Amino acid sequence: MIKRRTFTTLAVTAALSLAAAPVFAENYPSERLTYTIAFGPGGGNDRMSRTVVDILKKYELYPGNIVVENREGGSGAVGFSFVKNKAGDPYAATSTSGNFIGTPLVSDTDWTYADFTPIGLLASDAMFLIVRSDSDFGSIENFVEAAKAGRVTIAGSGSAGPERVTASLFAQAADIEYEYVPIGSGGELVTALTSGSVDAVVANPSEVAGQIEAGTFTALAFSDSARSTNHPDIPTFQELGYDFSFSLPRGVVLPPELDPAVQDWWVATLQKVVETPEWQEYLVTNGMSGNPIWGEEFGAYLADTSTKYEAVLKDIGAIN
Amino acid sequence: MLADIVSNLSLGLSVAASPEGLLFLVIGAFVGMIVGLFPGFGPAAGIAVLIPMTFGLTPTIAIIMLAGIYYGSMYGGTITSILINTPGESATVASTLDGYPLAQKGRAGPALVMQAVASFFGGTIGVILITALAPSLANFAASFGPSEYFLIIAVGLLMLTTMMGDNKFKGFISALIGFAVGTVGVDVMSGQQRYTFGSPEMIGGVYFVAVAIGLFGIGELLHCILNGQHLQPAKRLRISFRDKEFWPTRQDYHESRFTFWRGSAIGFIAGVLPGSGATLGSIIGYSVEKKIAKDPEKFGKGEMRGLVAPEAANNAASAGAMVPLLSLGIPGSGATAVLLGAFLMWGLQPGPMLIVNDPEFVWGLIASMYLGNMILIALSIFAIPLFVKFLDVPYVNVVPVIVLLCVIGAYAINASIVETWILVVSGLIGFAMKKYGYSPAATVLALVLGSMAEETFLQTYIISQGTMNLFWTRPVSLILSLILLTIIAIPVLIAFLRRTKPLKETSDQRGQ
Repeated sequence: MIKRRTFTTLAVTAALSLAAAPVFAENYPSERLTYTIAFGPGGGNDRMSRTVVDILKKYELYPGNIVVENREGGSGAVGFSFVKNKAGDPYAATSTSGNFIGTPLVSDTDWTYADFTPIGLLASDAMFLIVRSDSDFGSIENFVEAAKAGRVTIAGSGSAGPERVTASLFAQAADIEYEYVPIGSGGELVTALTSGSVDAVVANPSEVAGQIEAGTFTALAFSDSARSTNHPDIPTFQELGYDFSFSLPRGVVLPPELDPAVQDWWVATLQKVVETPEWQEYLVTNGMSGNPIWGEEFGAYLADTSTKYEAVLKDIGAIN
Repeated sequence: MLADIVSNLSLGLSVAASPEGLLFLVIGAFVGMIVGLFPGFGPAAGIAVLIPMTFGLTPTIAIIMLAGIYYGSMYGGTITSILINTPGESATVASTLDGYPLAQKGRAGPALVMQAVASFFGGTIGVILITALAPSLANFAASFGPSEYFLIIAVGLLMLTTMMGDNKFKGFISALIGFAVGTVGVDVMSGQQRYTFGSPEMIGGVYFVAVAIGLFGIGELLHCILNGQHLQPAKRLRISFRDKEFWPTRQDYHESRFTFWRGSAIGFIAGVLPGSGATLGSIIGYSVEKKIAKDPEKFGKGEMRGLVAPEAANNAASAGAMVPLLSLGIPGSGATAVLLGAFLMWGLQPGPMLIVNDPEFVWGLIASMYLGNMILIALSIFAIPLFVKFLDVPYVNVVPVIVLLCVIGAYAINASIVETWILVVSGLIGFAMKKYGYSPAATVLALVLGSMAEETFLQTYIISQGTMNLFWTRPVSLILSLILLTIIAIPVLIAFLRRTKPLKETSDQRGQ
């Protein structure tokens, strides 16, 4: 019965903290929350979602039971569609990642990022431009010079994924020509660089953090708008004079058509989540940068990311 | 060096042989066998589903258990290959070629014992090699770029010809069907979709597991029904440990004594290379065995060596795949990729520093694999009479159970009905293939390898600006190119020499 008591106190505090809260918010939340993960267990989206739910439970931030379910399939299409179709239901939530933006752009889904109620960007998943430490490219200037003098190859996972978008935005900003080599998985991406097959890779920090720590790889720049909280020594592209930023949203969204008070409740709650040591530990282990943004600002960030993504996909001919 | 190994292993054993370690190892190995038994429910899915079960454990114990599921499924996966001709995974496709005929000849018992022994042998050789060679092998794997991968896959594709059966023409058509299905999905170059018809389920391509279960499982069933097998009374196979029929004969062991070694060595090397290690290893293991045998005509008709080779190979490969995973953080297969995800979840940073920062974890895991293989051989041999009982059940009653297993397996891949439809269609195609002598094994393996070959070829093409010079300017590639050319040249040369001598024997081989 401890749960019930915390529920009452929390509901009251929640109601009090929202001065102009409508009647509806007085008993929100009072039911079981279903947290849908649109991907399989063990993957990036799954780890983030389970961390958030564990923190909500541990600190009793959500006054009720939380059920976590994996609904994978179609690169997130199935799970996100499920949540989208729960329009108006304040007891459903899901986590965003790259496919939240990408999948609707490349395939025929019944949802886009704009359908959901944005709560917050908890972490950003940006990319490093990586070279081998024993290569001739000691700095990004050297790399750009080499690209202007001859020809460079940059590899990244997937043909039309965030890696390609980052590489393409960088090439535009630096005014260079490059050859993009799509490589299937994270493992083959690492060996493409260690074996000297390509000049550089664009990769997620968690895929290459071990190699950077061991001194095999050097990160030249980071694609987020602020430096990574994990690798504060690596400059952003913008700092280096290449004016672009690109990152993928690791955030939380709720179904469409919700009471603004519900959105406010979740923003306030998740602001507590990102303060916990557990969340900070998650950021470090998974190589993510933690510069959170909230509510409608998060919505604007999603729109901006989607626009950049779409432009690059059109540019390379992946979509019409 | 030897002292290092001993101290590393004793550190590992202190973790793995703790009561808690052993308990979860047994659970993992057992669950792995069960997971392997369900067609389509491979190790990747098994580990993924069971990850939440490990949340209360310490990281090392959790990974020991998950790794047990991983290599345990290699033991279980062959059981369905032998008994119902349905490989649960691409790595056990090669085991159907001789395993199923063995069961049909009434030698299911010896075949199952032999596969357990071969699995144990391959797995143990694999772990010994990990212990000794992990650091140096990691560098070897790190030198593999797209051009090297393409050449290795090309060797694997050439090896396909040895498992196509007698009629090469139909074999090629079977492989071409596999290649065609492999083109579905996103084009690696442009990111444009091919034959997906806008469906998000098809973006990732046609998953081979549904195709494999359909072609083999459903196809086999329909063919048996056509032959009226369901009308026949069940053969009573009484099998017990005391029975002489249960154990492999001295001749079985004697004939395959070198096969164990060859299969394990080939499998391990294939496993170390990221990509489709266990699958390539089992194909190459099988075809090498057939090529060097004095009596290759026995293969495919229930030859013990034809089962031992791919089994030793795929288990050695599953051990070999741990080398790049532990030393470089590079997953070599779907299952090891899920394991890598579990590492991250437990706060272990994969990469070259893992073995430096967390030696208890790395060596604990390696030591647990020695114990795990021992547990698994005991488990599988004790459970065999149970599995063989399955053959006692009248075929009429078996059919619905197999159909049910196949449908659940296909649905479980993505929890979507799309895979179930792929299963149904592949089942009908598999039936026709079986009836008219085509090779479902060639189709499935071409599907797996074809898209990998395309990707790595195009990567090489882009990097070399269309000149393809990587194939001879990079040292490892050059060696692989020469091997490839030799494999192609030798049969042509032999055929040429034969043709020039006795002119009478120029009969058209395709006309058989």
